[in-house]
Amino acid sequence: MAFWSWFWTINFIVAGSAFAGIAVVVAFRGVADLRAMLAALRAEREHR
Amino acid sequence: MNFTALDWGIVGVYIALTLAAGLAGRKYVTNAADFLLAGRHLGKYIGIATLAATEIGTITFMYYAELGYKTGFASFINGLIAGVVMIFLGASGFMIFKLRDLGLTTVPEFFEVKYSRRLRLVAGVLVAVGGLLNMGVFLKVEGTFLTIIAGLPLSDLKWTMTVILFLELLYTVLGGMVSIVITDFIQFVMLSLGTVLVTGYVIWTVGWRHMQDAVMNNLGSNGFSPLSNPDYGWAYIAFQLLLWMAVDTCWQTTAMRTFATKDPETSKKVFFWTGFIFLGRGMMPMLWGIGALAYFGKGHDSLQAMPEMIARILPTGVLGLVVAGMLAATMSVNSSYLLGWSSVISQDIILPLRRRPLGQSSQVVLNRVVNVLVSLFVLFWGVWYVLPGPVYFYLNITGTLFLAGAFAAFIGGLFWKRANTVGGYCAMIGGAVGSVTYFFNIPAAYAGMSAFGLAALGMVLGSLVGGRWDRRFRLS
Repeated sequence: MAFWSWFWTINFIVAGSAFAGIAVVVAFRGVADLRAMLAALRAEREHR
Repeated sequence: MNFTALDWGIVGVYIALTLAAGLAGRKYVTNAADFLLAGRHLGKYIGIATLAATEIGTITFMYYAELGYKTGFASFINGLIAGVVMIFLGASGFMIFKLRDLGLTTVPEFFEVKYSRRLRLVAGVLVAVGGLLNMGVFLKVEGTFLTIIAGLPLSDLKWTMTVILFLELLYTVLGGMVSIVITDFIQFVMLSLGTVLVTGYVIWTVGWRHMQDAVMNNLGSNGFSPLSNPDYGWAYIAFQLLLWMAVDTCWQTTAMRTFATKDPETSKKVFFWTGFIFLGRGMMPMLWGIGALAYFGKGHDSLQAMPEMIARILPTGVLGLVVAGMLAATMSVNSSYLLGWSSVISQDIILPLRRRPLGQSSQVVLNRVVNVLVSLFVLFWGVWYVLPGPVYFYLNITGTLFLAGAFAAFIGGLFWKRANTVGGYCAMIGGAVGSVTYFFNIPAAYAGMSAFGLAALGMVLGSLVGGRWDRRFRLS
């Protein structure tokens, strides 16, 4: 039981930290990606 | 009534912002590829945001919290498997690299590329039936969460469901995938904030030690060990490993993200990093369920315990922010699922049945009409259907209805030269037959394993034995 208790505690810390960390990075860098996607769609529409 | 004017204000601003962003997306849609796959222009970061937002909904929080409430820390095995499988696929590129390389639009399209047009139709029907039954319970579960947390009476549930559906339908029908990607990004930010906030409040209010004691007192060692817990065990773990491999590769909404990325390398990166998000996607809401167990004790309604606890522990303002986050999660999942299942019905069932091809603009109109029809089905199924057990198991099994067969046919089609159309039919039928045994009182783990087992057996035996009939099946 003690093994599982520690195992899940460590897993939870890793999972929670990864979730929060990646969310912050994506929130900032995703804006540029989104603008690039819209620019590509706009360019394709004008090309047609 | 838990909500104050401040909370309603925050939710109102969020909804207005999302709708405006979603409606702005429609001007970028000129053909079916734009409507269904955003022109295949997804980069790494926006890919992570849309994949995560699509697979993290209020429904996710509810079913995982229910597992946490019922099975304690042992439930974490579900989050661990979901995350690790996705990280593995991202790191290795197994299946997803080849799938992106094929330039597909929908999952059943693969069946026409590798097997036959008729098998694509059969796969399309199974994908649509399984997907619609799966999505059919979303609105009711999500509506329950939002109704309870806002402090509205449960008699208002049908109205909550209708409002949610109308909001997401509005921008999905008009802007398709482009609108969904834009709104998914906003929703990803909001739902991440909401998820972290609630997790922090639950740990702060209930206490980690108190949660561990509550699990020990109510569930004993079964609340910690997934091997001794009667709901899990080795068969369940094996089923989950296969199921998540199949979900990540053959599930229409996930696969649409793979197909929509810029190139196969971007697909790999998106999967790798989203895998880490999936670890938290599972474990954090499960912890909320464990928090509810510690807060209320055993004997509470397992599905309603988590939202009731959240409504009590969150202060004004934070509650509005969290509900906006949950609404974001709800809308991002439902809009993607609406588009996903509608695209299968239009592209893989209706279009192949037509003798003459449809023009691009007619295809977009067809997709929009199917979107509305799917929404109506989801609304009525949610009101009418009574779940036979935990939501998570129901979702697993309705997904497995086509995932088991599709996964076997994908593996065969991609990696085995002798795989043929007869094997494809046998795999689809075997997978469907195995999964429906759940509705005849077979535990989810055994029903799921039998589905994957029968599908694999069908693929191998059908391909080996049916080689002589393959040409006839292929031409039919």
